[in-house]
Amino acid sequence: MIVEAPAYDSDHLRDNPKLKGFSRCLCLFIFLLILICICTCKGSLYAQDSSAIVVHAYVSQGFLYSSTNNYLSMKSSDGSPQWTDAAVNISDSLSDNLRVGMQLHMYQLGEFGGSNVQVDWASGDYRVNDHFGIRAGKVKTVWGLFNDSQDIDAVFLWILLPQGSYSIDHKSFYLAHIGGDVYGGLFLGKRGGTLHYDGYAGQATVDLNDGYIKQFADIGLVFTNSLGGKTYGGDLRWETPVRGLTIGSSANMQAVDGTAPTGSVHLPESFAPSMYASFTKGKVYLAGEYDRIPINATVTIGTAVFPLVVDGRSWFAMGSYQLRKNFQVGSYYSHYVNKAADTTQPANHSNDWVVSARYDLNAYFYAKIESHFLHGTALGYYTSSNPNGLSPDSRMLAAKIGFTF
Amino acid sequence: MRTARCLILLLFVSLGSWSMARAQNVVLVANEGVRITEISNADLRAIFMGTKTRFSDGSHAVPVTLKGGPAHEVFLRNYVGEAPEEFRSQWRKVVFTGQGAMPKAFDSESALIDYVAATPGAVGYVSRISPKNRVKLLAAVK
Repeated sequence: MIVEAPAYDSDHLRDNPKLKGFSRCLCLFIFLLILICICTCKGSLYAQDSSAIVVHAYVSQGFLYSSTNNYLSMKSSDGSPQWTDAAVNISDSLSDNLRVGMQLHMYQLGEFGGSNVQVDWASGDYRVNDHFGIRAGKVKTVWGLFNDSQDIDAVFLWILLPQGSYSIDHKSFYLAHIGGDVYGGLFLGKRGGTLHYDGYAGQATVDLNDGYIKQFADIGLVFTNSLGGKTYGGDLRWETPVRGLTIGSSANMQAVDGTAPTGSVHLPESFAPSMYASFTKGKVYLAGEYDRIPINATVTIGTAVFPLVVDGRSWFAMGSYQLRKNFQVGSYYSHYVNKAADTTQPANHSNDWVVSARYDLNAYFYAKIESHFLHGTALGYYTSSNPNGLSPDSRMLAAKIGFTF
Repeated sequence: MRTARCLILLLFVSLGSWSMARAQNVVLVANEGVRITEISNADLRAIFMGTKTRFSDGSHAVPVTLKGGPAHEVFLRNYVGEAPEEFRSQWRKVVFTGQGAMPKAFDSESALIDYVAATPGAVGYVSRISPKNRVKLLAAVK
């Protein structure tokens, strides 16, 4: 059988959203990679001079292929490369105690993110001593094991973190706050370990390109201004005297209000706790976490007022092993359930078995591959991306390459 | 027979050099202005992981590292308790979350020694040191 290749047609490219998304992601990835390579080749940016100014950056390109449902607003059932992530930061130590810095971040994940560059964090950090410091500005929110670091693909074996706890399409809601943190460590002696604390208060916003906004748009509530509200909370983690064992707990209080041309949403303060533990010994890493994220909001569309109640409870257990210096493998199980609804329905739960591998080509370049065995459709799926409905079970393959310095 | 002997000799030489590499130790160096003469392993780990910024006498500590090599690996494994990859990953997490700045890293031991000699509070490690190097030796204690 002879398959004739279609003639190249620029209109075809322009009209095909999949090709358009692919070419845009590819161009973006290559552009960012070249930019970062130029910066590193110049050499002066990487803090090897007498100046205290330091520049770091990362860029990654992902690919998703799912067996049935379309995941994270991508056409993943056809295979989608619409996943590019990049950040660059600059920081300067003005004195022994005072440091200032800023990180710019942009990402494209299906329909989320986009070409707009966002300030990921921008803060001044005054460390009075090892027991007390103040960080003010836009600050990453410490919650659970990974909330503040969930964007930094280069530090993880996993391509997708457990989505019940760190939902990638809803991250802007929890990721950072404009306000301040107090932090420090209490050294409890050789037999007591070290206690690290972080307390914060400020204002958090939901980005207009976030998954919550898309979910509201799917039910007819289209926001043109960001939603936001006050937030406060803290994290306490104990580096135990058992070398490598850390136990901790976080709490977050968050309120959200937003008004759209056709209605509004109001979420009074809600309490989200997290409890976690991690253990590292040699080549082995183990971690587990339990989280609860309740939402008890009131949604108004036109004259209709209805409650939006979600009692999200999730836990995960993960383990990894460094097989070789540059090769790591691991697995995790993630469980999520909405206790406020019928948990037997696939739309109200999500279980995910994950197997991952990571290969570091050198200190800067890495490649990852990951397989997901999903049961339930509570997380990561959108009506508009799956107009024909959802299958309760799905398998997914994710791959990523990245560069960082 | 001769080939077998050569192979056995080669094996012993390889094992010998491997065990020497494993057993290699490092010398802890600090700026001459640093007042302490010894430092606990726990403090070394805390200073190089960024959770402590001061020596036990309260003075400011500036940790510096090599970019790679046997001395770097031996120091991280023996004193910090981390593999180089894990050490780099931990610091990247700190840097990209805006919680700190990575220690300065040097291509060569001579560059590291020059920096330590010129920077108040600096502390690092090298595989060997000569008397003309104007740095102070620190003893690590359990």
